Amino acid sequence: MLLVKARKTLPHIVLMIYVAAVLVPFVFVVFSSLKDNNIDIAENPFGFPTELVFQNYIDAWVSAKISTYFFNSAYLSLTSGIAGVILSAATAFALTRMKLLRTSKVIYQAVLIGMLIPSNVLFIAQYILVSDLGLLNTHWSLFLPYTAGALPISVLLIAAFMKAIPAELEEAAIVDGLGSIGLFFRIIMPVTVPALVTVFIVNFLGVWNEYLLSNFFISKDALRTLPTGMVGFRDAYQTNYAYICTGIVFSVLPVLILYAFLQDKIIEGITAGSVKG
Amino acid sequence: MRSALRNPYVYALFVIPTIGLYFLFTIYPMLSSAYYAFTDWDGLNDPKYIGFHNFTTALQDPYFQNSIVNNMYFILFSVFVQVPLIIMFAILIGSVKRLQGFYKTTVFVPSILSTAVIGILWQFIYNPEVGIVNKFLGLFGIDTIYWLADMRYALWAILITNAWQWMGFYIVLVLAAILAIPRELNEAAEIDGAGGFQRAIRITVPLIKPIISVIVMLSIAGAMRVVDIVLVMTKGGPVSSTEVMASYMVNRAIRYGEYGYGTSLAMLIFVIALVLTALYQLTFGRTKEEVTY
Repeated sequence: MLLVKARKTLPHIVLMIYVAAVLVPFVFVVFSSLKDNNIDIAENPFGFPTELVFQNYIDAWVSAKISTYFFNSAYLSLTSGIAGVILSAATAFALTRMKLLRTSKVIYQAVLIGMLIPSNVLFIAQYILVSDLGLLNTHWSLFLPYTAGALPISVLLIAAFMKAIPAELEEAAIVDGLGSIGLFFRIIMPVTVPALVTVFIVNFLGVWNEYLLSNFFISKDALRTLPTGMVGFRDAYQTNYAYICTGIVFSVLPVLILYAFLQDKIIEGITAGSVKG
Repeated sequence: MRSALRNPYVYALFVIPTIGLYFLFTIYPMLSSAYYAFTDWDGLNDPKYIGFHNFTTALQDPYFQNSIVNNMYFILFSVFVQVPLIIMFAILIGSVKRLQGFYKTTVFVPSILSTAVIGILWQFIYNPEVGIVNKFLGLFGIDTIYWLADMRYALWAILITNAWQWMGFYIVLVLAAILAIPRELNEAAEIDGAGGFQRAIRITVPLIKPIISVIVMLSIAGAMRVVDIVLVMTKGGPVSSTEVMASYMVNRAIRYGEYGYGTSLAMLIFVIALVLTALYQLTFGRTKEEVTY
């Protein structure tokens, strides 16, 4: 009896250790962000803050410009996410539902090739390209490569979904006199919403988290996104640990909130994206 | 009646924006990289064709060689340390009934966060004055270790951070495959007297081989792409001990304006990644089953 019980709890013990390893850093950061000074953090890292110093949050948000970075990130992630979904849904519709089959096959293959190219490899050439286009230090220099980079996988995922829609649905709509544009917006798009949401979330997170391009294509502080802004923030407040932790909380919290509501969608989207890639 | 779906103008309207962006920001940069890689372009003077000079220089460049070795450490660490742990944790999560969903959602969390922010977070954790790692080791009487400033430890510190970020993601992938195994197989083995460990080794692992192959491939590809975390945590230092190929490439190109040389490094990274994945596919990664999830 005891043996059975031990066998049942052992996996939980091992897993709890792992879960602790995942969560402890966050707890440490949140506690530290609420402390007044480094001595409090150093002397008692896991002690609950004696008095909650929310002032750190107000200071970081207002005077240290975290708010600027935050809104830049939010706005780029939203626009790029939406643009990516609309463009790739339209393309996926043309490729899977419209009857120009030979052209579609060629385009589909071309898009597949794009997925083989790691984004790092393109970094320098993209840097030269955006600087030739005069876009360095504008949000376009991020919006365009982000959106373009997300297109291949988005098209593939949405196309896979659209292929499964029965043809009767659109035949009926065409009989009713709908053109292909109407068909796309009124019939196919609504049916495809689950796939669109998944793709949107994945692209949104990708932009929210992106560092490399945003670090090198943008040097104006007012245009920085959260990841790069955070690194600058760290360099500026090197030893003010409470402050840095506050910044970390600001950049991590929105993602965690999103995750709390949409965990299944997010897991599904991110894993599907990688495996098919 | 189907003519609506044959309208070439609508087709063009739907396809051209995507194709245009894709060509401008993916295909064109790829082609222009291939061109610049054979030139001495420095961003100021006109590019001049210099044949394979950049490539021969790169292969003899001790800093680049060093960064290749560091990328190999990333690959070896993820394949031989992370993958076995990933399989073990996935099997454990698959074996429990209670809290299964909780484990799955929790371990996945780090992989949806920004690598740059995770780098900052872990810098804080490794911090010699206030970080919890040294605090913890201090309990055992171990002296303060300057994790990110000490050549002996910096790469390990980054490898561990990288593992912390990505393991959960792979665990969830493997878990999906484990949960897809028909329950009867395990039940039959249990009746035959196979213990949990035996069932894991004899039944689960062989059945999830295809997904193991996939995560090894993804790990190799991921290890070749590593860059953010290095740039944020150590900038390749101390003394190049954590420099990886991509961070070295970025440094040479952006900091020193050596676009020609930088793009040749980019091409080499691409080729090395392709060769490694091809080698893996031809040797260990051979699986007959198609994996579709």
